[in-house]
Amino acid sequence: MSDLDPRSRRIAVVADSLLEPLLDELDREGFGVIQLPPAGLDPETVAAWLEQTAEHVAEFRRNAYEVVLADDGLYTGELEQALAALGVPPLPQYAIQPPSTSRLTPDT
Amino acid sequence: MSAEPKRVAFIAHCLLNQNAKVEGGAKRPGMWEPVIDLLRERGYVIRQMPCPELAFGGARRFWGVREQFDTPLYRRHCRRLAKLVAAVIGQHAGAGDDVVLIGVDSSPTMGVDFTPSAPHWSGKPDIVEDDSTLVRGDGIFIEELKAELAERGLPEPRSTGIRHWFADYDPAEELARLEALLR
Repeated sequence: MSDLDPRSRRIAVVADSLLEPLLDELDREGFGVIQLPPAGLDPETVAAWLEQTAEHVAEFRRNAYEVVLADDGLYTGELEQALAALGVPPLPQYAIQPPSTSRLTPDT
Repeated sequence: MSAEPKRVAFIAHCLLNQNAKVEGGAKRPGMWEPVIDLLRERGYVIRQMPCPELAFGGARRFWGVREQFDTPLYRRHCRRLAKLVAAVIGQHAGAGDDVVLIGVDSSPTMGVDFTPSAPHWSGKPDIVEDDSTLVRGDGIFIEELKAELAERGLPEPRSTGIRHWFADYDPAEELARLEALLR
């Protein structure tokens, strides 16, 4: 172990459907990721997944880490309920970074 | 789950979230990209497992070795999380997906082939030099996950552990081992 710990103390809770499209950007911005459950799981498994997600989030929030949400709406209400059960308010939304202006330069 | 068989990698939580590491243990600001990039290159669906240590000992926990974590209560905590992971593995296995597991071989919890040991560690947390050793064997969560999979009649996924905290860490060896896993 080292005293030189580069952790960002910034975490994005990310919907499964947004994980792949956002990974490069989140890595570039130095975010760690907590993955939300994918579609198609049974309700009991989803509830267990969100319960442990909320436990992780609550612990990070208790220690003043920044935690944001990149959500697709699939489990918004269930996540809010799991967080509320631990006294954690809804998470602020992750602001998707605008594309580089170089990509907007017309081909002339 | 879709009917199209997929390649799915269940990975230790900290590989996507270095903030979950014990203080002093992070190698990157956010994610351990050597593994994440390789999984994406190979077309693997990522399934992040929970971090049992973060949930149990908290973000300010001390370093630990297997002998400290190996308690009935910690095992019950790990088994609770293992039931979740096994349920998801079961759905993928049922769909015919190819499932692999990637742990962290310097972890008393997520070790796959190695886990840290120091039977003499206890009491005041003032060990100046880390004199723990890496011994062959699974971490506590991985043991509980294997037991849960066995109870459900599910096969153990092919697996390996990341060794970036080993004194003789060799990125080329690790890449070759991962490539063999992701065949």
